[in-house]
Amino acid sequence: MLFNSIEFLYFFIVVTTLFFVLPYKVRWILLLAASCFFYMFFKPVYILILAFTIFIDYFAGIFIEQEEDRKKKKIYLIASLVANIGVLAIFKYYNFLNFNLTFVTGFFHLRNPIPYLNILLPIGLSFHTFQAMSYTLEVYYGRQKAEHHFGIYALYVMFYPQLVAGPIERPQNILPQFHQKQHFSIENAQLGLNLIAIGLFKKIVVADRLGLYVDQLYANINNANSISTVLAVIFYTIQIYCDFSGYSDIARGTAKFMGFDLMLNFNFPLLSKSVSEYWRRWHISLSTWFNDYLYTPIVINRRDWGKLSVVFGLFITFLISGLWHGAAWTFIAWGILHSIALTYEFLTRKTRSKIGKKVPVFLNNFLSWLFTLSFVSFTLIFFRSDSFGKAQMVIQKILHFNFSLNLVQLCLEKGPLNLILTFLSLFLWGLIKVPDKNSGYSRNVLFLVTITFLIIILGRNAESNFIYFQF
Amino acid sequence: MQNPISSISNFKKFLKKILLPYFLLSVLIGFVFNLFFEKNIILGSYSSGAYKINRIINSNNKNEIAFFGSSRAERSFIPDSLVKDGFNYGMVGTAADVLMFCLREECKKKNKTVPIVFAFDLNGLNYGVGDISNFLYNSDYPPIRKLLGTDYKYIYNVPFLKYYGHFEIYTKYYLNNIISLTKLNNKGGAIEKNELTKANFDELVKLRLAGNTEFHNDPKLLADFLNIVDENKNRKFILVAPPYHRSVFAGFTNLNKAEEFLNSLKLHKNIVVLDFSQLPYPDKYFFDTSHLNLAGAVEFNHLLRDSLAHYIN
Repeated sequence: MLFNSIEFLYFFIVVTTLFFVLPYKVRWILLLAASCFFYMFFKPVYILILAFTIFIDYFAGIFIEQEEDRKKKKIYLIASLVANIGVLAIFKYYNFLNFNLTFVTGFFHLRNPIPYLNILLPIGLSFHTFQAMSYTLEVYYGRQKAEHHFGIYALYVMFYPQLVAGPIERPQNILPQFHQKQHFSIENAQLGLNLIAIGLFKKIVVADRLGLYVDQLYANINNANSISTVLAVIFYTIQIYCDFSGYSDIARGTAKFMGFDLMLNFNFPLLSKSVSEYWRRWHISLSTWFNDYLYTPIVINRRDWGKLSVVFGLFITFLISGLWHGAAWTFIAWGILHSIALTYEFLTRKTRSKIGKKVPVFLNNFLSWLFTLSFVSFTLIFFRSDSFGKAQMVIQKILHFNFSLNLVQLCLEKGPLNLILTFLSLFLWGLIKVPDKNSGYSRNVLFLVTITFLIIILGRNAESNFIYFQF
Repeated sequence: MQNPISSISNFKKFLKKILLPYFLLSVLIGFVFNLFFEKNIILGSYSSGAYKINRIINSNNKNEIAFFGSSRAERSFIPDSLVKDGFNYGMVGTAADVLMFCLREECKKKNKTVPIVFAFDLNGLNYGVGDISNFLYNSDYPPIRKLLGTDYKYIYNVPFLKYYGHFEIYTKYYLNNIISLTKLNNKGGAIEKNELTKANFDELVKLRLAGNTEFHNDPKLLADFLNIVDENKNRKFILVAPPYHRSVFAGFTNLNKAEEFLNSLKLHKNIVVLDFSQLPYPDKYFFDTSHLNLAGAVEFNHLLRDSLAHYIN
């Protein structure tokens, strides 16, 4: 079930109403049943995968907590991690690894006897697997008590607002909230609706419209010129941000309406003035996950390497981050490019700071922002392309410096109005200010009405998938 | 921590202060906007499919020569170059089922005896209603419901909301009608002014040569068409096959079937077949392999005018 579908509207109304009508003690059953229904809307049989990892991690958590022997604790943790990563490996990476094995064996004129699996990637697999791993890791580190209520633990992994695309929650934040009594609050309802509204606007009006231009260009790159290619590359950067942060907003809004606080996942990342700042603001729940469970342990374990430990930590973290996003070399290239940029920023921090002081603040900030956005957009060419060949074609198109003003090349198939509406949607997005908790009722109503009309009039009635669903 | 009673009072307050004003304001604005948009934008553009569908259902000008068909009709016929009082009802993406709908609506008009002209596509009689936005304004008209069949959704009964996702296309037609930036508009005809780059055009030719074009005859649609023809013996049905780019014929798998079909239609007394499909026009007359550009349409209309003159007074 997509957040941007009419089915979700009915689902939201029914589940939220029942949530407040039912007695507190049975609400977890409602939320768990609703989450199962929500997930099974995509492919029912895959609920078994979730059930498997929930079962393993639930008991792993309890055993880790009860066990006093450090070595045994570690065995339980490893068992849990192997189960989670194993599921990921089978469903997400098996065919990719096999394909590469075929390539290598083919190089030596040998036949790869291992068959390919004809399976679909379960939706949101990387998200709920990471959330589940976060639980056992936190219990192992002693920062979180094991959850003994099986239903509540299952809800921690399956809570429908964030089940398929995050935010990847930490047990410390969300588990206690499932034990608290939630009452209907007008403040939560207002904030929740506003978040849902702005999320839908970002997705349906901005991301889907930008996507129309981007998709046309990538599908027909031969007929593009340098201007349309640069536009599409920048549009994709904004599209993926609006698509993903739109999803996070709807997730947070849906949860907030019922009184649950999910973590902030985006903090205006496209305004970042360095790549490291970008990663502090982009997909915060994932970058902090990698920071806590991968990067920091690597750097600490290799601290005797000096600066090299940081470089190594960055490389490994972003290599895995690339793989987390997708089982393809283009995602790995995307991750490695970011690790190179972060390494450069780490190694030249002092020099850049000295140079920065000699340049006027405004100019320094502007150039830093421009370089960062250009770099992020450039790396996203690999993210968007289905092969290195396609990425190469896009880069070549930019470097051809063909600035012809042919209307068909500039506006692509959908014509000038579509391009004008694309810019209009970006302009409106810049103008919109979401009311905060201090805003009056009339301001909230006006905001909701405005967003509703903008969505109906400017939105694309495509019910398109969220980009991050594929991960 | 709130108690349940405050929870209920909070909910009442939420209904009163947020939900109710939201719905009332939305309905009010939606109603006003809908009135404005339908009257000025949807019905304000001669070349939009929605306007054409509304016109074919409601107008009753007994002297008007109607030109029907798909985008090939829309982009090939310039009514003012062809007849004294004509209108081009060609609609992008539509197939023979929409053509039959239009023919039936045209034949309902009492006291009308002028010929009907329609463009014929060499891929034959197929189904395809094209863009749903063409039908939304008249979605409550029973023959439209029947035409849309399973594509008909309950939301099409809700004013304003039924246009969700389609406002752009109406605005596009409206603006094209006013400023004619990319198309030349003439009484429903919308002739492409844009030009593809040579590389782009060559790519389309290559694609056309690589793919197969096939004539398909749907017996039900044919029977439908022949019924209309037989029931309206006082009307002449002029079938025109506008030119295709030569690459179309290189990849045509059963051109003989299409020719046989056209020859079989010629046996009917009130059907006239004007086949220009294989006119050896150069590349410069084509927008793509199936559609003429402005120069091609102007040239073709000179030729067609003389042919039509034999049948239209």
